[in-house]
Amino acid sequence: MKGYYDIVGDGGSDILEQVEAQQASIARSLSGVRNLLAVGSGKGGVGKSTLTMQLACALRELGHAVSILDADLNGPCQARLGTLQDRVLVPDDSGVPVPKTRNGIGVVSMGMVVPEPRAVEFESVASGSSHTWRATKEFTVLRELLACMNWGKLDYLLVDLPPGAERIVQYAELLGPAALFVLVTIPSDMSRGIVARSLDALAKTPNRILGYIENMDGYYCSDCGRVKPLFPVPSDVKLDLDCLGTVPFDPELAALCDRGGSLADSPGSFSWQPVQRIAEEVCRRASECAPYSKERR
Amino acid sequence: MKFLCVSCDEAMKLKEVNPPERGSLTVVYGCPRCQHEIAMLTNPYETQVVASLGVRVGGESAETEGASKCPFSGVVQSMGGGPEDLKIGFPWTPEASLRLENMPEFARPMAKTGIETYAKERGLTQIDAQVLEQAKNFFGM
Repeated sequence: MKGYYDIVGDGGSDILEQVEAQQASIARSLSGVRNLLAVGSGKGGVGKSTLTMQLACALRELGHAVSILDADLNGPCQARLGTLQDRVLVPDDSGVPVPKTRNGIGVVSMGMVVPEPRAVEFESVASGSSHTWRATKEFTVLRELLACMNWGKLDYLLVDLPPGAERIVQYAELLGPAALFVLVTIPSDMSRGIVARSLDALAKTPNRILGYIENMDGYYCSDCGRVKPLFPVPSDVKLDLDCLGTVPFDPELAALCDRGGSLADSPGSFSWQPVQRIAEEVCRRASECAPYSKERR
Repeated sequence: MKFLCVSCDEAMKLKEVNPPERGSLTVVYGCPRCQHEIAMLTNPYETQVVASLGVRVGGESAETEGASKCPFSGVVQSMGGGPEDLKIGFPWTPEASLRLENMPEFARPMAKTGIETYAKERGLTQIDAQVLEQAKNFFGM
């Protein structure tokens, strides 16, 4: 009796072909992307999204073409960070152009598609059991976003990942082996411990991790002009990964973000120089890697 | 998933996909040699998992999938921008409609509403390719 692999084709269900067509469509859409850089952590609340936007601004200042894909469908931040939450997506004959911030950074986020305060909900014929299919659907949405947007020629496409140490592998598989990763932590045992789990998960993939960024490494006191410790005891948890740089918590940045601004609008800001140095280090390390568009599959 | 006619040792072919009933999809396969037919009856979880992949059993031409391919249909319908709504309201030329249809379903309602608002504020009477270009420039893309 024949087995599965003895039969050519699927008898007409066409499911595999459709999934393969989706993959081909993503590859076409990302063919002009030189570096795809996923910014993750595993831990929530460490400032990934804010840092992603500021890193994009710093890369832009260095003369690079940069866009951001907000992969956090359930807690999208990038539309608001880029003051693009009211931006309308307008299709042209070659796809959907990527909206840009006033600094020229492209941003694609569910925050432009599902208006606040609505939660992202999915239609289902299996009501009451969304845990069985929701993750699959979320990745389908991401695939559709990657495929339909007209990303154009980019030096960097930053992907702002949602929390979840084990799920970071799923994003690595979605984005392909040539996607680069940067991990973000804060100087606490808890955060570093979870980032260590992400690191362990990513070690099973072929993806290269450029390093980690230590965010909220102290806070800038505008009264005395010094950086003071934000966490009482330095973390004992060591990460087997290069540190790309540290960024202090900056109340000015928080205020800027609330207004949809960025550090690039406030070059005298205390945390701008550290972000710039990190951007330069990211560029140096990314230049040692093969271009994403050529090595994606 | 593939189906084999055991007596003929022949791969069965998809014959029809019937609309879902309470989340269950009926997919009929037949043996090209002996004409024997079987039906695969999915439970709602199985129907939903396939729909969550963004595919349709039987390919793009099949219109019988249980849930819409649109991952945000629930939100879309409550926003008054479901597929039916896309066919009425502000007139769109065929070329402009085609561009809209090239967007993912979940992104269409917000785009349609935004573009029509843009047109209405300028006293325009229909959406065509030229209006889309103007809107694109206006929204800084």
